[in-house]
Amino acid sequence: MAASLTGLLKPWTPRVLLVRWSRYNPYYLEPGPRKEVYHIPETELTPEQKEERELKSVRPIKAATNSVTSSVFNDPVLSKFVNMMMKDGDKIIAKGIITQTLENMKRKQVEKYHKAPEGKKAEIECNPYAIFHQALENCKPVIGLTSIQKGGKFYQVPIPLTDNRRRFLAMKWMITECRDNKHRRTLMYEKLSQELLAAFSKEGNVVKRKHELHKMAESNRAYAHYRWW
Amino acid sequence: QIGFSLSQCHPFCHQTQVRPLHGSGCGQQQEAIGMETRPETFSIFRTQENDPACQSEQHLGQYYTVPPSHFHTVFPHGLPPRYQQQVKTFNEGCVMVRQPALELISHLKRADYSKPTLRYLLYGVKGSGKTMSLCHTVHYCSTQGWLVLHIPDAHLWVKNCKELLPSSYHASRFDQPIQASNWLRNFRTTNEHFLSKIKLRQRYVWTKRESTEEGRPLGELVDMGVSRVKSSSDVVGAVLKELRLQAGGTEGGFRLAVAVDGVNGLWGRTTLKKEDKSPVAPEELTLVHNLRKMINNDWCGGAVIATLSQTGSLYAPSSAYLPQELLGEEGFDSMDPFVPVPVSLYSEKEFESCYLYYLDHIHFHHWLQHPHSQTEEGKKELIFLSNRNPSVLERLCAFL
Repeated sequence: MAASLTGLLKPWTPRVLLVRWSRYNPYYLEPGPRKEVYHIPETELTPEQKEERELKSVRPIKAATNSVTSSVFNDPVLSKFVNMMMKDGDKIIAKGIITQTLENMKRKQVEKYHKAPEGKKAEIECNPYAIFHQALENCKPVIGLTSIQKGGKFYQVPIPLTDNRRRFLAMKWMITECRDNKHRRTLMYEKLSQELLAAFSKEGNVVKRKHELHKMAESNRAYAHYRWW
Repeated sequence: QIGFSLSQCHPFCHQTQVRPLHGSGCGQQQEAIGMETRPETFSIFRTQENDPACQSEQHLGQYYTVPPSHFHTVFPHGLPPRYQQQVKTFNEGCVMVRQPALELISHLKRADYSKPTLRYLLYGVKGSGKTMSLCHTVHYCSTQGWLVLHIPDAHLWVKNCKELLPSSYHASRFDQPIQASNWLRNFRTTNEHFLSKIKLRQRYVWTKRESTEEGRPLGELVDMGVSRVKSSSDVVGAVLKELRLQAGGTEGGFRLAVAVDGVNGLWGRTTLKKEDKSPVAPEELTLVHNLRKMINNDWCGGAVIATLSQTGSLYAPSSAYLPQELLGEEGFDSMDPFVPVPVSLYSEKEFESCYLYYLDHIHFHHWLQHPHSQTEEGKKELIFLSNRNPSVLERLCAFL
């Protein structure tokens, strides 16, 4: 079946070339911006990697988006968070807020480190990226709810969530929490750093919201069989 | 499977390192480990010589610590705000010994103080370290027992002034009570020990009932200026005049260092407006008028060290950094002749030193936390992103 399909997939390019859109012919391959992959000399490649390289020399490749860099500091999760925080396409402001947040978190943790007694010093995490990732992990729900119609009524049914959906929910809750529940004079980066540090130690409103979702799903266990997929 | 068989043959081998597919990852880890095992007593980027007078070319590129006891007396104001944050986070104030500051200090050591004052002007692109060099020189002057007149930013006196009172002393001038009293308070902190030694040579009358007699200590004048905010600008003028007269004196003579940051704000335009919405020229402000008299080289027994600054300046393009562009005609003519001291971006050695300082884990936890920033790749990227500009590098390392 694969053989017949590949015969059908001609390397066509539309007359109007859509470079920035995401609907490409499946013939196109993903771009690979990581430099290390290309530094490996010919001799050390495994057969799969050799095949991949040959394929890349033949097939066309999708255009890389502007936010993807070959920089060693490129973090896809953080980029996604910046995009979600962005308003009206103003990525400079969103990126600025995130960098200020990371700096703020690092400063708070380093000051805490200096004040801590010797025994406690090793436990304090000063890496803002590690804190960010761990906090996001702690906010991700394990199970979600969806509205299913059965017999004229809508029931909240517990369903499993995909990884992407869980990550999206965690980020969305974090951002809405920081936008809504803050004092008028508190700046966004200040509130965000407070929330992230709280989520890192499993306290705070976002983790509370996750627990509430879990409790709702637990209480609606009876309707689980309404899910047919 | 390879790892499993290794552990079977070598029961005492705790690390069954399965070699990763990408060879570069292993090499980077070993580099990072190599840096950590450097012996603690030997650091390339720190020096134990904390006295600016004894620093020489061999200390170029190294960081020296300002003793914490001196810190609040020498620098109540005048440090860049991001540097103050850094000092608070690291619990120590470390300054890099750089070429412009050393040059300035060597000039100050060899100058003849019976001749009219020499004026030194630090200039350079944005973020190259002019204010920090100025602060280094101020620390030197302080340790040598000079009286330091440090104006943290002359631009603060020509913009954002909420209260502009017409001056009591001179009809067409304007007073700025808040700025003047703030400055006097900081001046008092810096020069405590001089305040009782210097005696006034003239009688100053403030109002019908208030006056300060001849022979009173300077401290009384300063205290009066801080408490009576209305006449604080005139007090500043009086203080400057007294110090100018007494600086080169043979009896009880002290050396006076006038350190002005953002000196290009004294000539140019202000954003202040009079009540009839007409703009105020800088000459019409008492503080600016008196400071200009101070910068003239008609007195002896000290030095004037000034910095240009585009950051706070008004109506100046952001690409301007040369003295001619920022001072304008009037300013350049008043400052002429001066000794120009260019401040450049970090050299390779200085960049190395700065990078190692941020990476240092003995005195404080790594400031550079991102695992990739500690590798060679990350370092090359930092050089590329910051172009070795000190302030840009500081901002980058803050969030990495």
